[in-house]
Amino acid sequence: MAKLSLMFENKLVKEVPIGSRPVSIGRSPDNDLPIDNLAISNYHARVYYEGSRLVVEDLDSLNGTFVNDLRVERATLHDGDSIWIGKHHIKVDATADAAIPWDSGRKAAAPKINETMVLDTKARRDMLQQAAAMGERSQFSPGRLKMPTLVVLSGKVNQKEYVLTNKLTVIGKSPMATVRLRGWFKPPMAAQINQRDDGYYLGTGDKVPTVNGTPIQGPTRLNDGDLIEVCGVRLNFIFRE
Amino acid sequence: MQIACDGLTDVGRVRADNEDSFRILDPLHLFVLSDGMGGQAHGEVASSMAVETIVNYCQDAKDDPNATLDKLPSQQWAEKTTRLESAVQLANSKIFQAAQKNPEQYGMGATLTAAWFDNGRLSIAHVGDSRAYLLRGGNLQQLTNDHSLVAEQVRRGIITPQQAESSEIQSVLLRALGAHAEVEVDIDEVGIYPRDVLLLCSDGLTRMVTEPEIAGSLQAETDPHAAARKLIELANERGGIDNITVIVARFQEEPKNWFSWLRRGPAKKD
Repeated sequence: MAKLSLMFENKLVKEVPIGSRPVSIGRSPDNDLPIDNLAISNYHARVYYEGSRLVVEDLDSLNGTFVNDLRVERATLHDGDSIWIGKHHIKVDATADAAIPWDSGRKAAAPKINETMVLDTKARRDMLQQAAAMGERSQFSPGRLKMPTLVVLSGKVNQKEYVLTNKLTVIGKSPMATVRLRGWFKPPMAAQINQRDDGYYLGTGDKVPTVNGTPIQGPTRLNDGDLIEVCGVRLNFIFRE
Repeated sequence: MQIACDGLTDVGRVRADNEDSFRILDPLHLFVLSDGMGGQAHGEVASSMAVETIVNYCQDAKDDPNATLDKLPSQQWAEKTTRLESAVQLANSKIFQAAQKNPEQYGMGATLTAAWFDNGRLSIAHVGDSRAYLLRGGNLQQLTNDHSLVAEQVRRGIITPQQAESSEIQSVLLRALGAHAEVEVDIDEVGIYPRDVLLLCSDGLTRMVTEPEIAGSLQAETDPHAAARKLIELANERGGIDNITVIVARFQEEPKNWFSWLRRGPAKKD
């Protein structure tokens, strides 16, 4: 027979077997698995058998019930799953049961349209970090951080090179520009470089810059080593480790 | 710099109440937008509390330049930016305390995106999943990072932006006003150039309308009121599942004097 083990910070608090009657979980003391914590609703969730499937059902709780890392309204439980309620979690031990196939359809709670919620407990955040550590495919992975840099090849500007740290980089004469052009009759904003999710884009300002000799037509994604020319200034765009 | 601005809010096609709030304080060039959450009209309470608190705080700062700052002025940020950050933190603690006092308001919260233009520079303070965009030379750039779980997953490379758009957990926020006693506020500063267009909007717009469409509408409609109306109409046409609020501010050069006329030629008719 399956059992539920209530854990708090990796310490076992209570164990209950699951029989034919649903196991109720909540703050109220008359629950089968009472959890005394303000983040938990009086009648928060219940776990019961539906045929041979073990099911957890959220009882419209305020802060939600999570299975592993998904907020659920109803979900089929598998051996080894963890139900997270506030800072507590409940381990599911269903070793004695027949294995339940994974495709039995775990359905994450559809976001209730009028309910935006804030992810609250620390545990959720830790979980996200763990997931991130496993699925780290980002180009920004620490250790090999590549800084996009503009190296000045020729022309009158105020620095020899610029590391692009902002979302918006302006090349121009304006005092707010990152790459400040010097000399008469230079426009306040000759060109701009925008940081987007997938890279850096060169856009027009008062002038149309060229990339590798070709005038750009609309925002142009910059590649490592591209040569930018605008207002008599030549810049080399590189990713520097 | 001259600023033409307007804001509009709409309940959308699905919801019964509008929980968004916004204020434009024209003499101060301050723009504040908030999207409330928490059922039974408490979202509305939270968002209007956020907006009012920030507007009042910044207004006081204008009337009395020596008004005390909660934070020490920093080297990195202009005074207005620091002040805006303090204002947002004040709003957070007000909402948090109100929610603690009134059990029926427990769980209420709000997003907040505020922009304050001063002396060629735009100060931005941001918490949550409302957004600030800047349209410059046909380029629409998001100035804020969404504090939502899906956006965080995208930033970490766990899911693609395409998966994020169809995700079922889009409503899960990592930060909001009123959720905790203290909140981390994103702040930023951006230099503003003539012909830039600033857009603040709630997620009711960005979930329904794509960025190229937003850029197109902002370029097509030079009147801020017409642009705001157009964006809301677009979001409603796509289903309008959430409240939609937009603030559009268009920055323009001061009327030209004869010297700049010589430099650039006659002013183009907008």
